[in-house]
Amino acid sequence: MQSIDLNQFGLSEEELFSRVDHNELDSEKIMAPRYSYWNSVFRVFFRKKLNIALLSILALILAFAYIYPLFAEYDKFGNLLDASAKHLSPSAAIKKFGFSIHWILGTGAAGQSTFDAIWFGSRISISLAMVCGVINLTIGVIMGAIWGFSKKIDIVMMEVYNILANVPYILIVAVLVMILTSSFWTLVLAMTITGWLGIAYFIRTQVVIIRNREYNLASRCLGTPLLKIAMRNILPFMTSVIVTLAATEIPSYISMEVFLGFIGMGLSEMSLGRLIYEAESAMVTPGWEFEFWSPVVIASIITVVLYVVGQNLADASDPRTHM
Amino acid sequence: MTKYLIKRVLHGLLSIVVVVAIVMIIIYSLMDRNLIFKNDNTYSHLKNNSKEIYKYSKWEEYGYIDFVTYADYLLMLTSSGEIDEETRSSVVGIGRTADKDSENVRKYVEQFSEYYISKGYTVKRIDAVMMNAKKVADGGQPQLFAYKNLSLLSRLWSYFSKIITIDNIHYAEEVKGERGITFTLFDPVYGGKKFSPAIIGNGTKHKYLLYFDSKFPYIHQNIITINLGTSYSVNQGIDVFETMTRSQGSYVKSLVTYPTGLQEESADDLHTATYVKGSLETSLVFKDRFMDDYTNVSTKKSSLSKVGFSFVIGILASLLAYFVGVPLGITMAKRKDKLLDKIGTIYIVFIIAVPTLAYIFLFKAIGGKLGLPTTFDMESSKKLMYVLPIVSLALPQIASLMKWIRRYMIDQMNLDYVKFARSGGLSEGEIFTKHILKNAAIPIVHGIPGTILFAMTGAIITERVYVVPGAGNLLIEAIGQYDNGVIVGVTLFYALLTVVSIILGDVLITMVDPRISFTSKDR
Repeated sequence: MQSIDLNQFGLSEEELFSRVDHNELDSEKIMAPRYSYWNSVFRVFFRKKLNIALLSILALILAFAYIYPLFAEYDKFGNLLDASAKHLSPSAAIKKFGFSIHWILGTGAAGQSTFDAIWFGSRISISLAMVCGVINLTIGVIMGAIWGFSKKIDIVMMEVYNILANVPYILIVAVLVMILTSSFWTLVLAMTITGWLGIAYFIRTQVVIIRNREYNLASRCLGTPLLKIAMRNILPFMTSVIVTLAATEIPSYISMEVFLGFIGMGLSEMSLGRLIYEAESAMVTPGWEFEFWSPVVIASIITVVLYVVGQNLADASDPRTHM
Repeated sequence: MTKYLIKRVLHGLLSIVVVVAIVMIIIYSLMDRNLIFKNDNTYSHLKNNSKEIYKYSKWEEYGYIDFVTYADYLLMLTSSGEIDEETRSSVVGIGRTADKDSENVRKYVEQFSEYYISKGYTVKRIDAVMMNAKKVADGGQPQLFAYKNLSLLSRLWSYFSKIITIDNIHYAEEVKGERGITFTLFDPVYGGKKFSPAIIGNGTKHKYLLYFDSKFPYIHQNIITINLGTSYSVNQGIDVFETMTRSQGSYVKSLVTYPTGLQEESADDLHTATYVKGSLETSLVFKDRFMDDYTNVSTKKSSLSKVGFSFVIGILASLLAYFVGVPLGITMAKRKDKLLDKIGTIYIVFIIAVPTLAYIFLFKAIGGKLGLPTTFDMESSKKLMYVLPIVSLALPQIASLMKWIRRYMIDQMNLDYVKFARSGGLSEGEIFTKHILKNAAIPIVHGIPGTILFAMTGAIITERVYVVPGAGNLLIEAIGQYDNGVIVGVTLFYALLTVVSIILGDVLITMVDPRISFTSKDR
């Protein structure tokens, strides 16, 4: 573009117009701002400083639970014969073994490092919660959508729900643990075999609320199959509800595992629940409280962080907050 | 409404039957039967054939099979008069192997096999285990018996037909004097001089069918008894319902006048006397005290029952929760996004996210620091020991009440009728108490019967942590000891509570809210 001396025409900079030619190609493009749902979700989510802080804590927890055990050598019975290594407070343990990250939470009943035990246990507990969460939410959401949408299935499923909700949950867990062994996958089976019903019931209620809107009626008239309506028309409406559910469910599986461990029906592996169960007697012994409270506090931190991150993500996934 | 309620109750009862059936399938078919011997010392000490017999007889006790030995069969024949005592004793001993049976024995063995095979039993004969050619090994006697797995239907039928029993005068097999029911105005337990009406049966299972005493609810009956299933390991031979409702603790002794006139300091409660066949003759202790076979009495104890403890703690915790949680929830809704609302929300998040176990231990530790008793002692009369269990149970309930009340109130605040009321000139206070609160309270009211009824079942963690002798641990204890009777009984009890509390909740909201109606006619 050649430069024109403006003074030549007696014009100032502001008054300058330039001619734009008609472009056939540009007129074919629709120029609306690009909108991506998940981008907006994360934009809203990261707007809060608290969420960034919580996410970093979560990342730290996950790193300790999943990466730390790869490098740490943990042998529960390594110090078994050393009577002076058992039930040490953090300061006593550091004094005895020298300062290292293993001893900052003291030692347990077998002279093992509480810190290592907690992270090995957390790995099992978090994995269990995640696996159960994924299975229960997937089955629960799909079944709930179908259940809410079809009136015939609704009648049958209400009966099933009323009956199965009354079979004591502890009994199912206990029997499965007895039939199979108390391994990781047994507990997954025990937690998912009826666990999805509650989620499905919750989703069903939500679906019933929106199933009779006009666009669904239209969709039915056009002959869309039931499954497709459930998956395409209804589920996207409920993203924030589902994220809220995930935020409450996943920490609740960790709590559940801790509870089952405490009543002696949990895993045989050293999960957080079993750790708390075995350290229970230490709680009432003066000077030993630390080995009980450390796993309890870590379990609480994990569940609280998971819950709050999930809730805030659910808030962010509600399109009404995207303004 | 009545018709609708009857329909709901019947429907509920049907689902209870299905729940019990499912639980029976789970425990009788899916669980390994041999597990019940895991901690059984008698079993591990028995040897050879007697171990086998012990195994089958235990299975019968636990309700897995129907089991009859050859000797039992012969006894049955004797008592029905088909054979006499002499024949019985001559044929009861079977040979070491089948071909060593004598002619006479063989006849009865065949009769036994035919009889039970025709009834669908499996007949099993185990030959003697020999130490040497002459000597039978320890516990190695030959055995002959028949057994049959109980089918689900027959098990269900026998369970449900026994749940409610009405006492009748033909219960006892042999009675002294005439069968019948007598009414007296002067209860013989109190010496026959004090005015206290009672109905006494002869020939019935319970001696006292109706009586008065000084314990709540003062009038007691034994005509209708509830049997939820007999316990085998948790509380041997005692019905689940009794296990839950029988008082615990140390004996309360008082001066008791027995029917023979003997007076003694004893904890026996003569009102609970039940019939045990031929018991008077078996012991001198009974002969000194009783005139007839109604010798089986339970004892008076000082403390509440399992359900009693759970209920007292549970109901007080719920009351506390409603008195604290509802006003707090209302205030939170009123001052949405203010400081109180934020503190309340943090508390709710804490209760939801932190494992129950963790915060109960936290409350225990805080309570202990404050000097409150952290363990429960049945014998002590200190009221302070109730504080921590009640508070631990109430705090999570408060959180959930706060959460829901706040949610419902805020939802109501945005509705059109509130804007209308405001434009009509009502004050904010009036709108809040007269309109919003009333509407927001409806879903809360629905949960009240459930809260009250489920206070009886007790809380597992709270009771374990504070060593409360309540009903919460009964199911876990039963599962741990493979006590099938108790598992089924407790499940039935829980299912019944669920059904009743939902129906009562529905009735309650129709009373609170005239817009809700369950009958099509009213609509």
